Amino acid sequence: MHAVDSRQTPAEAPQAPPPRHVSRRVRIRSQRDSRVAWLLSLPTLVILIAMLAYPLYRMIVLSFQNMRLRELFSGATPPWVGFDQYTKALTDGVFWGVVGRTAAFTVVSVTLSVLVGLGIALLMRRVHAKVRIFMMVAMMFVWALPQLVAAQSFRWITDSDFGVLNYVLTELGFDYATHSWFVNPWEGWAVITTLVVWAGIPFLAISLSAGLTQVPKELLEAATVDGASPWQALRNITLPILKPLLMIVTTLSVIWNFGLFTQNWALRDGHPEPVYQTLATFSYTQAFGRSNYSYGSAIAVITVLLMLGVMIFYIRQMFKIGEVD
Amino acid sequence: MAKHDEGVITVGRSRAGTFFANGTGILFGLVMIFPVYWVLNTAFKPDSEVRSFTPTFFPNDFTLDNFKSALGEELFIPSMINGLIITAMSVAAALVVGFLGALAIARFSFYGRKAIIMVILAVQLVPFLALLIPLFLMLQQAEEGTGINLIGDSLLGVTLIYVVLLLPYTVWTLRGFISGIPRELDEAAMIDGCTRFQVFWRIILPLTGPGLVATSVYGFIQAWNEFIIINTMNDPKHQNLMAWLLYNQTERGTAWGPLMAGAIITSIPVVVFFLLIQRNIATGLTAGAVKG
Amino acid sequence: MKRKIALAAAVAASMLGVAACGGGSSDDGATSATGKVDGAGKTIKVWLMVDAESAWKGVVDDASARFEAATGAKVNVEYQQWANHLTKLDATLAGSDVPDVVELGNTEFSKYVFSGGFAELNKGDFENSGTWLSGLSGACESEGKVYCVPYYAGARVMIYRTDLFQKAGIAEAPKTYADLLAAADKLQAGNAADKKFSAVYMPGQYWYAAMSWVKSTGGEIAKKDGDKWVGQLSSPQSVEGLQKWVDLTKKYSKADVTKNENEQAGIFSQGSGGIFYGNAWEQGVAEEVRKDPNDPNSPLVPTKVKGKLAAAPLPEIPSFLGGSNLGVTAKSGNKELAAQWVKYFTDSKSMEGLVKASALPNSTALLDKAAADNPKIAPAALSAKNSWFPPNAEKWADVEKASILQTMLTDILTGKKTVADGAKWADEQIAATLNEA
Repeated sequence: MHAVDSRQTPAEAPQAPPPRHVSRRVRIRSQRDSRVAWLLSLPTLVILIAMLAYPLYRMIVLSFQNMRLRELFSGATPPWVGFDQYTKALTDGVFWGVVGRTAAFTVVSVTLSVLVGLGIALLMRRVHAKVRIFMMVAMMFVWALPQLVAAQSFRWITDSDFGVLNYVLTELGFDYATHSWFVNPWEGWAVITTLVVWAGIPFLAISLSAGLTQVPKELLEAATVDGASPWQALRNITLPILKPLLMIVTTLSVIWNFGLFTQNWALRDGHPEPVYQTLATFSYTQAFGRSNYSYGSAIAVITVLLMLGVMIFYIRQMFKIGEVD
Repeated sequence: MAKHDEGVITVGRSRAGTFFANGTGILFGLVMIFPVYWVLNTAFKPDSEVRSFTPTFFPNDFTLDNFKSALGEELFIPSMINGLIITAMSVAAALVVGFLGALAIARFSFYGRKAIIMVILAVQLVPFLALLIPLFLMLQQAEEGTGINLIGDSLLGVTLIYVVLLLPYTVWTLRGFISGIPRELDEAAMIDGCTRFQVFWRIILPLTGPGLVATSVYGFIQAWNEFIIINTMNDPKHQNLMAWLLYNQTERGTAWGPLMAGAIITSIPVVVFFLLIQRNIATGLTAGAVKG
Repeated sequence: MKRKIALAAAVAASMLGVAACGGGSSDDGATSATGKVDGAGKTIKVWLMVDAESAWKGVVDDASARFEAATGAKVNVEYQQWANHLTKLDATLAGSDVPDVVELGNTEFSKYVFSGGFAELNKGDFENSGTWLSGLSGACESEGKVYCVPYYAGARVMIYRTDLFQKAGIAEAPKTYADLLAAADKLQAGNAADKKFSAVYMPGQYWYAAMSWVKSTGGEIAKKDGDKWVGQLSSPQSVEGLQKWVDLTKKYSKADVTKNENEQAGIFSQGSGGIFYGNAWEQGVAEEVRKDPNDPNSPLVPTKVKGKLAAAPLPEIPSFLGGSNLGVTAKSGNKELAAQWVKYFTDSKSMEGLVKASALPNSTALLDKAAADNPKIAPAALSAKNSWFPPNAEKWADVEKASILQTMLTDILTGKKTVADGAKWADEQIAATLNEA
């Protein structure tokens, strides 16, 4: 009944290509249909163009200007500076540091989330029904928790003075009284990564476990009977079937984590130190904190360009699904 | 979800393995839930117990004061009402517009369809924060031009932005639901003399019902959880609860007890909705917009 | 009072001229606050920070009442949170529906004056304008023109545990820096059993404190050389002061080196500290908490350190002077009314109310009277006489936003950088930020 992309795809993708005759039949429809279709899409398009395409255009224009507070207040057209903002960013070591940090965080956090998510999805097939329900409920709560609330709760737990984490570690005999988790960037990023992975697991584990239901049990049983080890069964049967779904959830995780903002922003109390800046917070701080609207815009444009490859991959994946119907 | 899993593979499974699996599963659940528990635990403690060097794992002195404090904060209830209004309006608008758009993509083959799909997928990936200043300038100009209050002391501008935020996802998900309805139904109805419009209204719309519910729930969560846009656009009296949560500071710094109580109140609608649509949760997961 | 602080505004004359015209309406000359204006049917919008609401709402209401009686206009006061008020201000000043009066921290003002955000005022229209605290008014005045009015100030003092002092055999508040160190040694020795005990509680990113030490040895943060700003933290005097602060912090403080001073009073109230350096009002914050933190009228509940605290000026260390100013926005449609409201809100009568609420008044002439009227702020009033404020640079606020000093301090305290290296790094960052085109 519910058209579930994530469920259809894994089952269909490796098998026969989707039947084409349906769409061919549709294509024969009259021109009137085309008019109706455009009419139906019109409100969507108008909104997207007015509220997205136009601001996007202005953002790009802004990145070639030098807009500061004075222009903001007076409404005067900011001076045109060509590629100056881009040159400034691309020749700045700090900017590249931010890019590298964002990329490294993305790779680590996505790898961890996907591996743990997959592991949990597989584990959920092996545990007792009651344990499975408990795991589901726990994950549902975590998933449902608004990002900001989750970040605040981590900030509270890792607080150097009142946090329960330091308390527990100290009780266990380690000297963690008043230990600050954000002195050492590795530790600080470990906290941020834990938060992001923790919050991301439910999405991954639950969608992957939905995907796993598409793996025919007979096939696995047959393989086991034929002497395949669980690892071989996973590699040669489960993973290939899961692949399209894995690709999509991984891509999405990359896009989300690359845009990290709320978590490091909230954990550093609204003023992340240089080592805790990511592209999103860096661009926001430049634009809104330091009133370098143009520089902030240029960084945002560069961010989009950096993500373009991943985005195109994602769109192509989704497009395939879109064309299936 | 559970219904898919009742068949258990028994082959090649040792009792120790199962025990180990169950143990790991329980441990995983406990670790996952701990931060959530800690929010609850903090919210039900009096301030003296919250701000203490020796945290207690269960409130010694169980109290509802933090909830009273949060609810009694001058801007809490107004923020909640604002959030509800903005969320309801933007979800409703996105559903109406998105349903029409989804119909076009799912049921018609026309010149430009691919382009529209591409645009809808692409815009979900645009970092919205970057658009804040142009959006602000635009709404400001629109306000001067039309004389309609949009930002600052109005909820309209933020609602409009949220519609854009929700729309691509709404269209994409509804498209999935609509294509799940067999075309034969449309054709049969048309043979019976229904017009195209009647087909949409009498057949597709009711059958998309569950999809509309699921989509609107995701929309609700998206709009309810947003705080950066609204905080940049609006004055303190026109914020939502999430913005309240980020910026509610007292002269004594963060009052963690009331803050956690506020966080719980803020999360309740989201959690309830999540649990309600638990069964459909995999639906449209991959459409790119949903992250808790 | 916490996140922003003192700044003054000697911006290069030519640039200011341009800036003043940027707002569009400054050409009309200064806005008068003394003329007779019929404000009947008009409402002015005032943005104050939350401190006014929680600590001296009565003063606001009284000034507004007197203003309404005199002009017939109404006042609509909106209280802003410190957290991201500048973002909202930027967005609002870009439009035409702007607040008429805006409060900003004194370090935040010059950026806005420079950008044409505020209207010129007539200094003589405001009471006590001849004796304004220069730490506040510096940000308002330039080339004989005035763009804002000092509102209130806060000076920092040492707040200490009288009971622990007694136990350690320390008779009175330290009079010299050497006394302070001796006292800290005794406190440290007497409380060695408490793992979390800080003889001097000093959060690592408390740059207002660190810079006070820098000032104490004759150091500077930055100074203007011709038309360029040059960082001064790596000068021998600055390094000496910085080293002094680092030695003190490393030896006596267990505070989080990545935290700032925002929550220090709450942490100190747990009883694991001997001395901390804070605003005068933070003594009250440490001794008592509101039963309901969100309700400024709820009863006060004593903390563990209730009745055990006293305040005194920190010996030999000049105080950082923080505070706020009030400006009339350049785009305001009711400039004269707005200026009149500011006049009432900053006159001697309002200042008396602020003193009662333990804020420092905006004028040196009122400091002694304030100290006499409210013993609680006497140490702060004394401190305010020996105070400093950050460089009068247009882009100073960006140095704060970029957390340059905070990062330097954390890096030094954790040993990632030596004092000299940290100071050198900060000088480069500060120069780059302040001189940015």
